Amino acid sequence: MKPRVGIFGLSGCWGEQIVLLNCEDELLDLLGAVDVVDFLGGSSRNDTTGPLDLALVEGSVGNAREEKVLRAIRDRTRVLVACGSCACFGGVAAQEGPLPFDDLAALVYGEMAGQYDLAPHRPLSAVVQVNAAIPGCPMEKKEFLRAIASLLNGDPPLTETTPVCHECRMRENGCLLIRQGIACLGAVTQSGCEARCPGHGVPCIGCRGPVEEANVESWRTILRDKGWNDHDLERRLRTFAAPVVKLERRGT
Amino acid sequence: MSRTITIDHVARVEGHGGITVVLDGDRVERVEFAIFEGIRLFEGLLRGRDVLEVPGIVSRICAICSHNHAITAVEALERALGVDPTPQTMLLRDLAFQGAAIESHALHAFVLALPDFVNHESVITLAGTHPEVVRLALNLKKLGNTIQEVTGGRAVHPVNYVVGGFGRLPSQEDLVRLRDLLERGIEDCQRAIEFLSGVPLPEFPREDLEFAALVPRDAFFFFGRTIRHSDGTAMPVEDYRRFTAERTVPHSHAKHSRWQGRPFMVGAQARLALNGDRIGGLARDAWERLRFDPRCGNVLANSIAQVIEIVFSVQRALAIVTRLLQEGVVPEPPVPFERKAGAGVAATEVPRGTLYHAYELDASGRVVAADVITPTAQNLAHAEGRMRTVVEGSVGLLDDATLKHRLEMVARAYDPCISCSVHVVRTGRT
Repeated sequence: MKPRVGIFGLSGCWGEQIVLLNCEDELLDLLGAVDVVDFLGGSSRNDTTGPLDLALVEGSVGNAREEKVLRAIRDRTRVLVACGSCACFGGVAAQEGPLPFDDLAALVYGEMAGQYDLAPHRPLSAVVQVNAAIPGCPMEKKEFLRAIASLLNGDPPLTETTPVCHECRMRENGCLLIRQGIACLGAVTQSGCEARCPGHGVPCIGCRGPVEEANVESWRTILRDKGWNDHDLERRLRTFAAPVVKLERRGT
Repeated sequence: MSRTITIDHVARVEGHGGITVVLDGDRVERVEFAIFEGIRLFEGLLRGRDVLEVPGIVSRICAICSHNHAITAVEALERALGVDPTPQTMLLRDLAFQGAAIESHALHAFVLALPDFVNHESVITLAGTHPEVVRLALNLKKLGNTIQEVTGGRAVHPVNYVVGGFGRLPSQEDLVRLRDLLERGIEDCQRAIEFLSGVPLPEFPREDLEFAALVPRDAFFFFGRTIRHSDGTAMPVEDYRRFTAERTVPHSHAKHSRWQGRPFMVGAQARLALNGDRIGGLARDAWERLRFDPRCGNVLANSIAQVIEIVFSVQRALAIVTRLLQEGVVPEPPVPFERKAGAGVAATEVPRGTLYHAYELDASGRVVAADVITPTAQNLAHAEGRMRTVVEGSVGLLDDATLKHRLEMVARAYDPCISCSVHVVRTGRT
């Protein structure tokens, strides 16, 4: 029997569902290898309550409705995979903003803020147990296909343990951080993107989330010495993965 | 006696919304397209960010139209900073927009909407009976994505659009590869048109629809500085607030727009209704082959309009790539700029309709205020109106299941990008 698969999105941009649909060459084979039983984005007939072998979930948890939806998915699936940086780390909606969340909502909605179902955005792991994670904003096609192949074989997907600098070096890019004093986050970000941004002459913005054992303090020191202020550095560090990147406030 | 018909969650659309109909006997009391997509507060979060950070953040509003958001943001920031992009930059941005139209329309017309036209519940079941059509759709979608990979560096969430130009310009190899793919794309379009010419347009109530679209600037179909309504009104895009007159709506996380109190429609059908005289060549052939009439009054024709735009875009993209190959790509770095205080508005025609981005910057080039009005947000009031018409025409005649299906088809006709529509909130002084 083919594995029963569900594909879901919470608060997000549909990035991972689009990457999945962007696997144009592999899509029909992929869909043939599994039984997609619950995929609201792609089908108008869905089994919304039956058991699942694999649930792919993108997006962050941004309100009470989504928390309920996520818990229901967790209850019916054997394996739950967080797809994309919103699901893995909270993503852009959870970024370090100009104001604390409640103040931001009040600024934007005024008195109406209270009547919308609205809460600070959180990664899936803040609410339920997550069995596997595919980071990225959006996730990489190749990484997704490899992860699905592993999961269908009963294995957890491999994760990258090197920073983006590793791939940048392999491409022989000039270093934006050291040579140009640009706040490139490659040194503290998980690789897997082939250093795409520095390869285009623009800094890494950390969309794949923090690499394990990221040396954030060293990164801060280098940039402070080049004239960057702490506030700007904190916002850049905490654009895609704020809920999991430890905030350091030095006095200000 | 009051009763409610609900579609909890509309299927085969991007994002989260539901439809509620409240009836009192045969009288339609209320029809609501309720958007409950998670609110992400993008424009609020942008405050204090440096100008160079904006495109990378706003592209995350939506994965389908990420290039459109990034480029429109860049254009608005350029206006704020007094930066003039070069003609080559404008041509490459135009190429990106053609790629986005091909990719997005192929996704919507074939994967999301077409199943309804041929009595299927999904592209997955459609692949079982019409594998060659699904193959064509995937080819076209891939073509659109490949164009955007070349111009933007990545299909979803580009990295390459910066204020003043590009991080890296396309290579000769990139352009040759695109030319070959585009030539094959022309053949795929012709096969797609052949198939669609045999698919009838689902019958829906025909009404006098009101449209809005940018007036195309020169050869650029999707770029302009003037917004025009089908009632003849035209105004500079800087007056977009007056034109869209957005208001919050209690049942929806997205706001509603009305011109002079009346909802209007934006998107492919609107563009072809208002600017269809600019469509020639193979796209005009497709128009005729599909017997398309933008003023037929049936919003379901929007998906047909999108297919015609795919043909237009493949043609236009091929012309741009051919020209760049002939003239060679000039290795120009981005136009340099000084950070200074200023405000700028840009509008573009993206797959779903008119998109507005507006930014105000302080003297150090940081965002003070940001405003983004997406096409889907503008379409929501119009969609509710058409849903109401469907219900009024069907009360007592259709069973609930059929009525719900028809209401969902109306929702799908607009190709709603619900993630785009909800972040719409205004901050600051713009």
